[in-house]
Amino acid sequence: MNVLTVNDLHLDYGHGATANPILKGVSMHLQRGEVVALLGPSGSGKTTLLRAVAGLETPKSGTIDIGERRVFDGARKLELPAEARNLGLVFQSYALWPHKTVFDNVAYGLKLRKLGARDIEPKVREVLAQLGLGHLGERFPHQLSGGQQQRVAIARALVYNPPVILLDEPLSNLDAKLREEARAFLRELIVRLGLSALMVTHDQAEAMAISDRILLLNNGKIEQQGSPQSMYESPDTLFTAEFMGSNNRLPARVVARNGGAARVQVEGMALNATARGNGAPDLDGTALIRVEEVRIGRDPVDNGIKLPLSTCMYLGDRWECLFKHGNASVRAYSKHRVDPGNYWLEMPAEKLWVF
Amino acid sequence: MPTSTMPLDTKGAGDTGSLPAVRAPRFNWTRGVVVLLTCLAIFLPLFLVFYQSVLSAPFFMPDKVLGLDAFRFIFDDPDFWLAFKNGMLLASGLAAIAVPLGGMLAFLMVRTDLPGRGWIAPLLLVPIFVSPMVMGFGYVVSMGPVGFYSTWVHELIGIVPWNVYSFTSIVVIAGLTHVPHVYLYASSALKSLGSDVEEAARVSGASPWQVMFNVSLPMIMPALAYAGVLVFFLGFEVFGLVLVLGDPEGHLVLATYLYKLTNKLGTPSYHLMAAVAVCLVAVTMPLVMLQRWLLKSANKYVSIKGKGARQKPLPLGKWKWVALAVLGAWILVTVVLPLSGIVLRSFVQYWGEGVKLADVLTLQHFRDIFDEPSLVRGIVNTILIGVIGGALAVACYTAIALAMHRKNDGITRLLDYSVLVPRAVPGLLAGLSFLWVFLFVPSWLDGLLHGMDNVVAAWLSEHFIPLLRQIRSTIFALWLAYSVVWLAYGMRLVSTSLLQVGPELEEAARAAGASRGRVTRDVTLPLIKFGMLGAWLMVFLIFEREYSTGVYLLSPGTEVIGAMLVSLWAGGSTDLVAALSFINITLVAIGLGIALRFGVKLHN
Repeated sequence: MNVLTVNDLHLDYGHGATANPILKGVSMHLQRGEVVALLGPSGSGKTTLLRAVAGLETPKSGTIDIGERRVFDGARKLELPAEARNLGLVFQSYALWPHKTVFDNVAYGLKLRKLGARDIEPKVREVLAQLGLGHLGERFPHQLSGGQQQRVAIARALVYNPPVILLDEPLSNLDAKLREEARAFLRELIVRLGLSALMVTHDQAEAMAISDRILLLNNGKIEQQGSPQSMYESPDTLFTAEFMGSNNRLPARVVARNGGAARVQVEGMALNATARGNGAPDLDGTALIRVEEVRIGRDPVDNGIKLPLSTCMYLGDRWECLFKHGNASVRAYSKHRVDPGNYWLEMPAEKLWVF
Repeated sequence: MPTSTMPLDTKGAGDTGSLPAVRAPRFNWTRGVVVLLTCLAIFLPLFLVFYQSVLSAPFFMPDKVLGLDAFRFIFDDPDFWLAFKNGMLLASGLAAIAVPLGGMLAFLMVRTDLPGRGWIAPLLLVPIFVSPMVMGFGYVVSMGPVGFYSTWVHELIGIVPWNVYSFTSIVVIAGLTHVPHVYLYASSALKSLGSDVEEAARVSGASPWQVMFNVSLPMIMPALAYAGVLVFFLGFEVFGLVLVLGDPEGHLVLATYLYKLTNKLGTPSYHLMAAVAVCLVAVTMPLVMLQRWLLKSANKYVSIKGKGARQKPLPLGKWKWVALAVLGAWILVTVVLPLSGIVLRSFVQYWGEGVKLADVLTLQHFRDIFDEPSLVRGIVNTILIGVIGGALAVACYTAIALAMHRKNDGITRLLDYSVLVPRAVPGLLAGLSFLWVFLFVPSWLDGLLHGMDNVVAAWLSEHFIPLLRQIRSTIFALWLAYSVVWLAYGMRLVSTSLLQVGPELEEAARAAGASRGRVTRDVTLPLIKFGMLGAWLMVFLIFEREYSTGVYLLSPGTEVIGAMLVSLWAGGSTDLVAALSFINITLVAIGLGIALRFGVKLHN
């Protein structure tokens, strides 16, 4: 069952001659118990889409339904205000009210729903305990660490049991070390409580780790959607492929094509490759391969090119090596340090993509 | 999904309550009423001034006709042109003195290691909070022909080397007392300027003075330009100083010309006053709009200034004592001399050549004040209008600011410009126009009701209209005029704190289910609580200081110290003026003391 449905949503900033289209016909849905990530570069409209769902931005046309209830309909001029949509929203900056204690911050939503103090108390205590904040109820937000503030913000959005919880870049305000812990905590919490969540992020690793499904936005439109695995391993477009991982781009010429299989010319070598996407690939195009799929060897291989080593960088768990000659440069990982010299870089046909 | 493990969900949605039913979006009545009342309070008085200026006689006279006679009369009056010219001269001279001095003071106070900055800072603001009427009087009793310091200097060297009644002296005094206005804007601009740009100049070999003239002051040019227009504008409005100091030699500016017009024809010459008022506003209104434009461009400039990081004071070295001497001289002339003069004068019976101070000390003037019921009422009213009126005014300013808060529509833009309009109306004029409102509106309504000729109208005309007429002689009339005159100032105080409330704090409350009204009550207002308290204190200070607005509204029941000073001064009772001035300064000092004690920012 869909708890959230967005249909053909258009949204402009400004109007008339100065209108700047931000969303250009976005449709999506969110099922009960599902976590969907809105992923995209800055300016792609992902935060705007989230705010439109929350009722904080007014779209131009399209519809938004929460459960069975229509909350926005551009054609019928129907727009429910934010406070009537009963959603949970976690802000990037947390937006904790500095003049209220942690307890009061969390209790506010229940108070607005006219619950008595006797009913509020146990509910707030319960949700604080679930988020590991049980002992912090009487503190003020400025007395908490960044990670604790973030959990208060989540508790505040969960306490009144909204059908959908919206998260706007929930992890980006934490420092790098804490972010990985918070990522695991958030995923575990969502699964444990069976939440339906829509999360905005610009970090593809975060999106893949937390969500069940990813919606990749590009310039106000949905570029591609699917499970994290399919998005990473079988992208339909060059944009998706480039956004989802770290890649090598190689100048390539397509010499033959047979269904999904293609033959390309890279650095004077003919290689087998896979054609992705729907459109016919350009004759002069770009071949793409994930950095981790390139295999380094001394001996000649069938599907590979020969390049000299330029430099090696130590990353802790592995080495990242740059091979370079003329226009062509290829990065690859190696378990060990690589000595200078020429190497064969093997690129498996199913991992070398042309679009 | 394993929803069975979800403790929150097992209880069902009913347990967490549900949001109140949504009403259809409807007209925001609160906002509508606030906007309507604000516009009425701003534009009705101004409209009456314009209307009155094109009548041939006061509006209550039966034989009035539309026409430009009033303008013809004042344009033919050589005194008007003299006053206009003097006003321009005064404003330009004042700006020429105040801007360089204020800029220098700001540099010394903000960027250098000048000794004693801590206790100098509050002293610098004193001229802003002391009524110009009191200041002018202070100069008369301390440096006038028989002032304390004049007689002492005369005994010492045989002559008095100054004449405070000359026009040059008036310009210099006005210039010196307006230095703090420039100082405020220049210092806040300097504070946002990183010290790295100055350190770079020092390293390249510049002395502190070269740093100031070549780097710091040029970089805050937009702020100085704004302050320059501001003090020019204030100079054009100067009333109290010229009233007191310009009288003996007959120097007039437009505001005092307007004031003296009352006596010119013997009868109430409202149409002439209105014509002068229109001429005044014709000059001040463009200046106010120019200020707004400058402030906007100054704000744009802020972002390209150096890093606003750590600020290390610039060592003055041997220049330290020169700088301190300049600063000390300014404080002596602008603060110490006039204020000490008033304190002395309020405790002596009389003063003149050869009188010994110890022989004439007395408390009689204060006893006289407390024997006179109207003066006691004046003091009580002044305190009430500052404390209670100040609180009410801040409440109104907050309501207006909230009507504009996070609403980007035509009404907000209308209010944005409207609240600036009263700035262009000098206090004297605002008092006059409110007097007209309270005279005109009841009689106009009465006429309307008589025309309607039914029972309700007759009842209203009998019971409601007299009430409306009485408002003029209540302190409410005065409060309304004060609040409108200081609208732009108070709005800036309140909106500064509103700007600091992050939009996401309010959005979070809306997402949690709070209506706009609840968001304001539960989030916005609690967050700006301290800003509002600070604004209350500032409004208290300016309401204590205000004098010109009450001049025309002065009647039994509406006495305030400021307006009483003007009328007592006209009557020549120097003793009472001195004692009242002393009380006024004391009230301001108490307010300033509280402000400093609680760390209220005295400027932004």
